[in-house]
Amino acid sequence: MDGQLLSETFVELTDTMVADFDLIDFLHVLTSRSVELLDVSAAGLLLADPRGELRVVAASSEAARLLELFQLQGDQGPCLDCFRSGRPVAATDLGADPRWPQFADAAGQAGFCAVQALPMRLRDQVIGALNLFRATAGPFDADTVQVGQALADVATISLLHDRSMRRTDTLNEQLQTALNSRVVIEQAKGKLAERLGIDVDQAFALLRDQARNRNQRLSDVARAFVDGTQAITGAAGGSPRTSRPGPRTAPPRSAL
Amino acid sequence: MSAADVCAAVVPGVEVTGAWLSAALDGQAGHLMQVTDEVGRLLADLQLTLGEGPLLDASASGGPVLASDLADRESGARWPAFAPAACRAGAAAVFVFPLVVGAIRAGVLGLYRDRPGPLGDFQLGDALVFADTATMLLLDAAQDQAGEGAGPGGQPAGLASYRAEIDQATGMLTEQLGVSITGAFVRLRAYAYANDIQLADVARDIVARRLRLFPDPDLAPEG
Repeated sequence: MDGQLLSETFVELTDTMVADFDLIDFLHVLTSRSVELLDVSAAGLLLADPRGELRVVAASSEAARLLELFQLQGDQGPCLDCFRSGRPVAATDLGADPRWPQFADAAGQAGFCAVQALPMRLRDQVIGALNLFRATAGPFDADTVQVGQALADVATISLLHDRSMRRTDTLNEQLQTALNSRVVIEQAKGKLAERLGIDVDQAFALLRDQARNRNQRLSDVARAFVDGTQAITGAAGGSPRTSRPGPRTAPPRSAL
Repeated sequence: MSAADVCAAVVPGVEVTGAWLSAALDGQAGHLMQVTDEVGRLLADLQLTLGEGPLLDASASGGPVLASDLADRESGARWPAFAPAACRAGAAAVFVFPLVVGAIRAGVLGLYRDRPGPLGDFQLGDALVFADTATMLLLDAAQDQAGEGAGPGGQPAGLASYRAEIDQATGMLTEQLGVSITGAFVRLRAYAYANDIQLADVARDIVARRLRLFPDPDLAPEG
């Protein structure tokens, strides 16, 4: 494990008091650093919505995001069990695990054989769950579980501390804003996919490229495109299939 | 039930002093549909007069603005004109919920209290559900006006449980139908209702390109 990166990550995860703190960026750091530091292939994060539902708020990859959504829609899976019990839940060989047959199938199709779900919990309050996915079956080593839980704990404390120290309502404002931004991005994916005759994943790659190239937030690019005030130029004059392989861990907002 | 009824129901529902609801479909200037008292009317007016306030911030961000103490330093710095004016009008806390589905804007639900203090966790959750309900009712009303026949009225689906495919299908329909994102969502829901199919199933077929909708020849295309 990279000790330097580990200590940098802890500093990052406690730095929620900065003026331009962005909840989605923060949680994205948690998932992408989890993949960089731990022996896992992907990570996803669920947070409790004040409406009483769980929502996917960050993921290190699209496959992890879809798998988290799948659990919410099917109302079964290790991450839900973890959130409901407030305790870690591990499945070291999903193919042979009888607990969540539909989830195991979906995970297998996404290329994952094992999952470790870790609660984001402070005393009695469970605010979400961090979920680590691995492509190979077998137990998660003690380091991975301990450090993963430590990352989740630090993030939880930072968020709850943030909530008590700053304006009480900031976290809820940001969560709801972020959830709505995710809807805008899905709407933009659909509009662009239909306009260019491509699939929604390709559309997402184009939106992301445009946001990167213009140094804009993905949600701002998506909103301007849906509102008709900004065109997506990634496909202009060329093949719309310009999606390029990303780095090992995606930069912020890439898996929104 | 109408969106105005939601405005009346939310006041005892989440224990606030008063509420207002303004409708603003597709970025038209909002018009005040319902207020429960005079302070609510003043709060809605003040923000338009002063050009600042939680209503405008909520509309810009697409997320709620929760100001649990208008007299605190944070609120004063955020809205130097609105915060003191709202206090003088009789409000101590203001909570504003934009009525949105992604880029679809239907209006704003505003709540106020005459004493400072945050909404509790359950109150916030309930307020969000009231706001979701008002959103769907405003969109139903738009559907009726557009001559789409009876809407799904009275049974607004929980927005929080919406799936990505519904949002993606809505985006696709803007192109298929040549309408705004609001118009696309109204047509999507009308199609599901008229054909007695679950919204999520219609959306899945559209995203999988097994189903296309066509512009309604009786309606002038929207922008």
